[in-house]
Amino acid sequence: MRLIPAIAILVPLAASADTGVQQLLTSRCQNCHNDQTRSGGLSLMSAAAMRKGGARGPAVVPGKPGQSLLYKLVTDGTPRMPREGEPLSVAEIRSVREWIEAGAPWTEANQWWSLQPLRTSFSPGASIDRFVLDKLKEKGLRPSPEADRRTLIRRVTYDLHGLPPTPEEVTAFVTDAAPGAYERLVDRLLASPRYGERWGRHWLDVVHYGESHGYDKDKPRRNAWPYRDYVIKSFNDDKPYARFVQEQLAGDALFPDDPNATVALGFIAAGPWDYVGQAELREGTTDKNLTRVLDRDDMVTVTMSAFTSMTAHCARCHDHKFDPISQADYYNLQAVFAGVDRAERPVDADPAVFRQRKALLAKRRELVIALRPLEDAMGEVSTPEIVQLDKQLAEWKQVSATDPAKRPAEINEKIAAATARRKEMVRAAAPAPMLAEIARLQAEIGRVDAELKALPKPQMVYAAASYFDPIGTFRFAPTPRPVNLLIRGSVEAPGPPATPGALSAVPGLQALFKVDAEAERRAALAHWITAPENMLTWRSIVNRVWHYHFGAGIVDSPNDFGHMGSLPTHPELLDWLAVQFRESGGSFKKLHKLIVMSAAYRQNSADNAENSRIDADNRYLWRANRQRLDAESIRDSILAVNGRLDSTMGGPSVEQFFFKDDHSPIYDYSRFDPDAPGNYRRSVYRFLVRSVPDPLMERFDCPDVSMITAKRTTTITAIQALALMNNPFVLKQAEHLAERVQSVGGTVEAAYRLVLQREPSATEAATLNAYLKREGLPNLCRLLLNTNEFLFVD
Amino acid sequence: MNRRDFLWNFGGGLGGIALASMLQAEGLHHPAKAKRVIQLFMSGAASQCDTFDYKPALLKRNGEKFDPGGKVELFQSVPGAVMQSPWAWKQRGQSGKWISDLVPHIASCADELAFVHSMVAKSNVHGPATFMQNSGFILPGYPSMGAWISYALGSMNQNLPTFVVLPDARGFAPNGAGNWTAGFLPAASQGTMIRASSANPIYDLFPPKSAPYITPESEADTLRVLNEVNRQHLTSHEGDSRLEARIASYEMAARLQLSAPDVMDISKETAVTRALYGVGDPVTDDFGRNCLVARRMLERGVRFVQVWSGADNGFPRRNWDSHEDIAKDHGEMAAGMDKPAAALIKDLKSRGLLDDTIVYWTTEFGRMPCSQGSKGRDHNPFAFTSWFAGGGFKGGASYGASDEWSYKVAENPAYCYDVHATVLHLLGIDHKRLTFRHNGIDRRLTDVYGEVIQGII
Repeated sequence: MRLIPAIAILVPLAASADTGVQQLLTSRCQNCHNDQTRSGGLSLMSAAAMRKGGARGPAVVPGKPGQSLLYKLVTDGTPRMPREGEPLSVAEIRSVREWIEAGAPWTEANQWWSLQPLRTSFSPGASIDRFVLDKLKEKGLRPSPEADRRTLIRRVTYDLHGLPPTPEEVTAFVTDAAPGAYERLVDRLLASPRYGERWGRHWLDVVHYGESHGYDKDKPRRNAWPYRDYVIKSFNDDKPYARFVQEQLAGDALFPDDPNATVALGFIAAGPWDYVGQAELREGTTDKNLTRVLDRDDMVTVTMSAFTSMTAHCARCHDHKFDPISQADYYNLQAVFAGVDRAERPVDADPAVFRQRKALLAKRRELVIALRPLEDAMGEVSTPEIVQLDKQLAEWKQVSATDPAKRPAEINEKIAAATARRKEMVRAAAPAPMLAEIARLQAEIGRVDAELKALPKPQMVYAAASYFDPIGTFRFAPTPRPVNLLIRGSVEAPGPPATPGALSAVPGLQALFKVDAEAERRAALAHWITAPENMLTWRSIVNRVWHYHFGAGIVDSPNDFGHMGSLPTHPELLDWLAVQFRESGGSFKKLHKLIVMSAAYRQNSADNAENSRIDADNRYLWRANRQRLDAESIRDSILAVNGRLDSTMGGPSVEQFFFKDDHSPIYDYSRFDPDAPGNYRRSVYRFLVRSVPDPLMERFDCPDVSMITAKRTTTITAIQALALMNNPFVLKQAEHLAERVQSVGGTVEAAYRLVLQREPSATEAATLNAYLKREGLPNLCRLLLNTNEFLFVD
Repeated sequence: MNRRDFLWNFGGGLGGIALASMLQAEGLHHPAKAKRVIQLFMSGAASQCDTFDYKPALLKRNGEKFDPGGKVELFQSVPGAVMQSPWAWKQRGQSGKWISDLVPHIASCADELAFVHSMVAKSNVHGPATFMQNSGFILPGYPSMGAWISYALGSMNQNLPTFVVLPDARGFAPNGAGNWTAGFLPAASQGTMIRASSANPIYDLFPPKSAPYITPESEADTLRVLNEVNRQHLTSHEGDSRLEARIASYEMAARLQLSAPDVMDISKETAVTRALYGVGDPVTDDFGRNCLVARRMLERGVRFVQVWSGADNGFPRRNWDSHEDIAKDHGEMAAGMDKPAAALIKDLKSRGLLDDTIVYWTTEFGRMPCSQGSKGRDHNPFAFTSWFAGGGFKGGASYGASDEWSYKVAENPAYCYDVHATVLHLLGIDHKRLTFRHNGIDRRLTDVYGEVIQGII
């Protein structure tokens, strides 16, 4: 075979170039042809690598598809590429050919779109509608007319509140002839506390907030809820985004006098926690180390996904295969969290008490640090008699049961007596100065404890903490634990030490933090993320908000702005929104208003055959996306329309299940009264168990709370139909709806107004009146809750 | 939404809208030897050295100091003396496989079984290790094997769920329903829990008794009128397949209401069959009932059934976690499991179903060949045994081996990845090509690992 001469002139392009073929190479070729694997000696990761080629010569000859090995092998070469999966489609092959003909333009990693600084200059008159219209025109699409008022109020109320409008609100809006009716509606919705409950719930998805540990021994976290309340309040208060981020990562360090900023650290602790690994495994074992690495991995993953939409977690075992994130970057991020664990910590509402307690706890922490090695040394004290006694003790414990509660009383008595005897034997054998020092430290701790006891009772909060009371072998780290790069991600193959830092590929920001103290590490990361120059942060959040408003983001992978993610459909609009948001001081409410006031948002959702042919997925927004209600909205809507919704905010979560504590606690949803008063609260106040999700909510795609969820899936299944028809909660609420309809006349019309916020058509009225006569009001209400119209928002 | 998304989200699952699934749309990767899988999961860690991993050294050195060389790091305890199994070992069947008297019924099927003796777990803690055997990850939130297979292959019977889970009647294994989650896959791929001995075996299958206004007659009326109202709505909302899918979902639901009670009604089985599974005998009734219901489901086209032996790790012992007394606790667990598991193999075989049904027996890790206390055994993540029957597995074959103690793997280590790859392979799926993009990664059941174990298929 003739070798193809290397005449590659691979021209780097600006980030705005169409990177379609590059994406294709990423998804279909780079799994084998990357800088590490180099199948056939070939990497397709950069222009230079393609120029160099592999064992069979250069992969691409710009301008000459016929001479390019890459093109030959994807068409009919030997071996046919890609070797795994389906062959490339005709359209994909065509795009490869056109790309090579065009000179094989290439965007190097450092020119990747999401890492480019935000554009700051825009043509005059820039607005959401300008950007959307330009794109529609470019694609040959026509926008849809504005939706009617009933549709509009239903849409925007669900969007901002997760609830339906009341019949009165609909009438008021539909008949409001004065100019500015829609804007007044939007302002009213944004000012209501229902807004924070709706948008706070979105954020809880992103941070995988749950209220039990997960794994084996899925113990409840009865003090996680203050973080949920913090999130809701932050949205309702329109907290500036930078501050919102800073508080969640380092509120204790950056805003030490604000108790709420410490509650915000519930963010770091939101994910699962391996009780057995953390509290039962012995210090120094391989599995203990593994438990800690994975615990920090969760913190890094959620932080970088939620705030920067980067998949840093892909670099745990090797450098990121597709994005410029090294393994060193990843372990530097782990080092940021090396001094914190997930634990309960006290918070006082009164800032003065909070300050006092903090000072006392800092003192206590130092004393415990001094005491710990001495106590450990006491644990090591041994004599032949002690060894003998330990053997006896172990036998008693093992033969009967490791759980004291399950042992015969006489064995427990024997164990207690022997334990006391052992203590005496240790004291007798230990060096006197050590005993004296222990006594002195314990006395001092006693004095601090007395002072702490004199303070008003604090609220315990499940959050990140560098000081807490031990649970078994789970103890706080006196100083941040050493973190090493792990070769292939294995705890048994430590590489060089890591130092606190972030992603080195973000231009203009210092990736290494040069700080050592625990809280300073987190504070440095918070500042790195919220820097005005951090383009990832500002793009990430406006895209997330857009995603919830429209049902799809401008980037349709809200947690992945890397090469494996989607490209922005409207890159300039994304930047414009990011800049608007940043310059507004990070005001969510201003951003919402900007979006929902746009004509793009207010279009109707009707299909249009011509547009559909060009853009069936509506990526370019030629209409509104019809959306199915999410699980919480379904449940809350049922309560809203039957008038039972209890709008009490905040406080401990409602446990909508039967609970029995045990080795693995039991959570049983079927043994719970669906009419219990707590059940009328909004779904955001449900107690979220990891191991056993609520079957009703799960049916409607409420995500596994162990998983970080940037985008919920929507499925339609028979079991959903069964749930909405037969679930005891739904039926009970249908009965209450019947009572309410009865109280306002008991007609089909009254039921329609409450459930669907409109009058029935003549045909509907005829059909349902006949049905009502046959089957009664509860059946009618149950039927209406099962209609497509109730479950979908146009 | 493209065709693939549509099929994933609205096909498959419990009485899915269509029989469609990812691979039914795109074609299997290669011809399949098996169509369905039943997994028997021994929760709490079933001992390999008391069941299928025969080691003469343990008999010879019983009571001697356990010194396999190197540091021995145990989960709970300091290593005790070498401890032989309380049960006698015998060679079984044509293959002459050594199997202990703890599981005499399974032993009688020895020639049907293919063993992997070199299983290794990446955690010695129940929760993470149980996740790993199910999903390939020691973290929560990843889709289980049953979910992946549902997602890939869909249902063979649109009136029944694709993936069914039958938990131990005593309660859930560690991680609870997390063990059969769909993770990031469409919710329709997740396991449907069926409590075969309960009055309400599937959540919300029928209206509760508290709603007397719902009668069979009113229900027919309701479905008809609901359909009419939804169809009317559809006329002004054309071009949205989701709305049509929801209308169809009520028809599917009605069919499920008919087929589910039928499949669970084991009174339709002969007395001989019920006796084979040990139904009616208090020792074997629960697991026997579950295995028999499982067989009825497989017969009717359910794709993946997971049956659990063992609940959580609490006291008194109700799973295989025999730290205190292996003879008593393993004795009780095996007495309940052995006969029904063997019955399942025999019954499937006599019905001609074993050829294309994979029976897969596993646990989260093994147990130590040394004693804990004086009569128990601690966790052993370094070597344990899984076995398979039917569906293209080679009866009488064995793969991999532990060392002379049954302490660590000595040859051909195998992880859940390899087992999962092998099962997928027999189902016609290339484990490297069954992927789902989530948070920036094309996820696989086998993560970045997995080799098909050729020696046993």
